[in-house]
Amino acid sequence: MSAPLSSGQLVRLVAAREVSTRLRDKTFLISSAVMLLIILGVLVFQVVLNSSSDESRIGVVGDPGAVGPALEAQGEALGLEVTVVSLDDDAAARTAVEDEDVDAAVLDPTGRAPELLVRESDATVEGVVSGAVGAVALQRVLAEAGVDPGGLPQVTVTALDESSAADGQRTVVAIVGVVLLYSLIILFGQFVAQGVVEEKSSRVVELLLATMRPWQLLAGKILGLGALGLAQITLIAVIGVGGALALDVVDVPGDLVGTVGWVLFWYVLGYALFASLFAVAASLVSRQEDLASVITPTSLVLFVGFFVAIQAATNPSGTLAVVTSFVPGLSPMVMPVRQAAGEVALWEVGVAVVLMVVATVLVVRLGGRVYSGALLRTSGRTKVREALRAGRA
Amino acid sequence: MLEFDGLHKSYGDHHVLEGVGFAVAPGSMFGFCGANGAGKTTTMRIAMGLARPDAGQVRWRGRPLDEEGRRRMGYMPEERGLYPKMRVGEQLTWFARLHGLDAAAAARAAEEWSDRLGLGERRRSRVEELSLGNQQRVQLAAALVSRPEVLILDEPFSGLDPVGVDALADALLDQCRAGVPVVFSSHQLDLVERLCDAVGILARGRMVATGTVDDLRRRGSGGLLRVVAPDAGPGWAAALPGVRVVSERTGDTLLELADGADDQAVLAAALRTGRVSHFARREATLVELFREAVADPAQRTDREEVAA
Repeated sequence: MSAPLSSGQLVRLVAAREVSTRLRDKTFLISSAVMLLIILGVLVFQVVLNSSSDESRIGVVGDPGAVGPALEAQGEALGLEVTVVSLDDDAAARTAVEDEDVDAAVLDPTGRAPELLVRESDATVEGVVSGAVGAVALQRVLAEAGVDPGGLPQVTVTALDESSAADGQRTVVAIVGVVLLYSLIILFGQFVAQGVVEEKSSRVVELLLATMRPWQLLAGKILGLGALGLAQITLIAVIGVGGALALDVVDVPGDLVGTVGWVLFWYVLGYALFASLFAVAASLVSRQEDLASVITPTSLVLFVGFFVAIQAATNPSGTLAVVTSFVPGLSPMVMPVRQAAGEVALWEVGVAVVLMVVATVLVVRLGGRVYSGALLRTSGRTKVREALRAGRA
Repeated sequence: MLEFDGLHKSYGDHHVLEGVGFAVAPGSMFGFCGANGAGKTTTMRIAMGLARPDAGQVRWRGRPLDEEGRRRMGYMPEERGLYPKMRVGEQLTWFARLHGLDAAAAARAAEEWSDRLGLGERRRSRVEELSLGNQQRVQLAAALVSRPEVLILDEPFSGLDPVGVDALADALLDQCRAGVPVVFSSHQLDLVERLCDAVGILARGRMVATGTVDDLRRRGSGGLLRVVAPDAGPGWAAALPGVRVVSERTGDTLLELADGADDQAVLAAALRTGRVSHFARREATLVELFREAVADPAQRTDREEVAA
């Protein structure tokens, strides 16, 4: 009736249990929903912020004539999209402003005493209007004096760093990504740690180890929760990127997708290392109450990485950022920020990845031995050295 | 045959097992007795691969037990262990799958065993919501759900009320009748005496006695003699040839007779002290055999010298 089970099948059985348990865990579902809502909130906030500053309707009494194009030109120079509306008389202008039909109205635009009606003072609109009215008046005065306006000096703008705006945007995306990456590694690392302690404190581990090896249990746990975490961060990324593109928040979609892709990549590497560390630390204690004391050092490393990554956003080529982007454990958070800032050669990424993989393999090897040595010691706290010895025996 | 052969195990300087060996035939129940700390749990953990022996091995059907072999064994650890937040039915299904049943067979077996152990109503409850007795039943169901070829149960009766004991005993006897060798440890010796075909007594890391309860009786003291002589003074029987006083309490005396000792001479001696209200051979209970077997040899010699 029973067939031999391969390691793969056992690992999959353990992983499936982890996933199905979490999917029915209310805390997990609520935290996932909250995270998605935050991302959507940030997007909507961006849209609102952009739309309120980007457009303006300016009313002009009488025929706008030359003032219309001048308003639009001034608006463009100041990053404001101006729509010119023609109004009949001063009374209509007053009503339009009061009814918020227009943001501002210019009375007597080409006369001696032009007046600007606004509901409340707005420096950008004021600048646009006075610039436009002034420019039109100047042209008229020059034309009357017989001077060719084309002879006036014009300022030509040359941007030395064409990509800086796009870099800034990528860095913002990378920071949001690193915040997510940090939160999810902490969250799922905790899940792994709690799961290990739950099995020890409920003693179910003895029943499990009668049917499988410690590494199979560990692998199933880490892979199962890892797949769930990856699914969650991918879902957030897809919704975030999709939303950003749909709502037109970003300028360069290709950069956005690239940066998000790298964050996902580093998430996988970071999770693999930290989940293993959390699991090994957790295997040393037998009660949830003692868990905090053993996982704090690992959480601290994670926090330092997070902190340095936020620093790196402002100074991506500083020594601190460059050095830490190679240190295993810190690199998953610092490197994506440096990459987003466009400061990194591909070989540097390669070196950081290799160091990270080597560190993870070492942790899994050595930690796996601690884990198997400590699992069946259900009294109090096990010392690492004892666990290592028991793991070898 | 399930064979435990020459198991040695020490933790540091502490020698827990020093050559434990016994065999259990298919379809028989083996009661594993011993004082606390005698090494019963270690022996069972070795069989389940949870501890590695320094020497010796456990064989099933002539082959050393490996992972595949253990997958066909049912185990109930002394420290009960289940996932507290998992539902009974799902938990049993999952354990069945760990033992190699496919999804459909595992679900069927989980349903069957929860019904048979009276947990049908609680299949959708979380384990932590159940009473201790019911949790114990789930634990047993987890050991049985994969239709194991061998059952190893560490203190399965501890913490059960008399009804629970009977239910568990019935379940184990069913397994035995189906040809499964069952090994269980217990301090409830009356239970061991009632259920088991064979008994093993472990003391100081060695098997000090194995065999059927009858075997042990025969091999042991050769029968006890209880004499109630209310008027007898203390030590009335001490000088009789071939007689050892096991216990003496105001005229109620328990005597052990050496082979060939004359019980009629004892009766005559008893009558000389006055009235004799009770004189009968009595079979030793397992408790007495156990006490004798696990008693420290040094102490026993002392006692015998005192008695002689």
